[in-house]
Amino acid sequence: MARVSKGRYNLQVLAIMAVYVVLMLFEWPLVGKTEGLALRTLLALLPTLPVVVVIVLAARMVMRGDELEQRMHLIALSVAVGVISVASIVGGFLAVAKVWTVGGDVLFWVFPLLCMVYGITRVVLVRRVTGAWDFWGC
Amino acid sequence: MKNRVRAFREARGWSQGELAEHLDVSRQTINAIENGKYDPSLPLAFKLARLFKQRIESMFEPDEER
Repeated sequence: MARVSKGRYNLQVLAIMAVYVVLMLFEWPLVGKTEGLALRTLLALLPTLPVVVVIVLAARMVMRGDELEQRMHLIALSVAVGVISVASIVGGFLAVAKVWTVGGDVLFWVFPLLCMVYGITRVVLVRRVTGAWDFWGC
Repeated sequence: MKNRVRAFREARGWSQGELAEHLDVSRQTINAIENGKYDPSLPLAFKLARLFKQRIESMFEPDEER
């Protein structure tokens, strides 16, 4: 399998995230005003489509990376999953104990937080192993 | 593990990027191997040895046992 070009991957992700932003700005406000359950569900779930496409692109990039890149992706993802798991368990217990009142919209933060911890960990790993600052990709 | 990848690469006049292309890995991976920050897997080590027409033990040397 050919390696994924870093520049091309970044462009694709940027384009898809632009679609996501447009959907959130112009389509999402319609959800509350829509009457039919089926249409409202469809409109509510539409923004997940670009996110799924980005996840597929990221998975393809990881699959086509070399052994060191895959290793760093795996470590970064493990750290991110660990941090999010602890955070969600702590949040869950606090919510059940009624110490912290949270709504369902807190789930929106799971994916961005996962990406953030994953990205920071990856940058630190790449810096430690190769000595380079690599903020943008594989 | 110590290795002589940099010496063999420079003997051929290749850049890290050119060697990376021959091996279908990233330049950063070559850099990490040359600087001893990453020990390649056996398949990649064999690929390197084959590329430079060397025996694997002439390219890679284990650290002194404690």
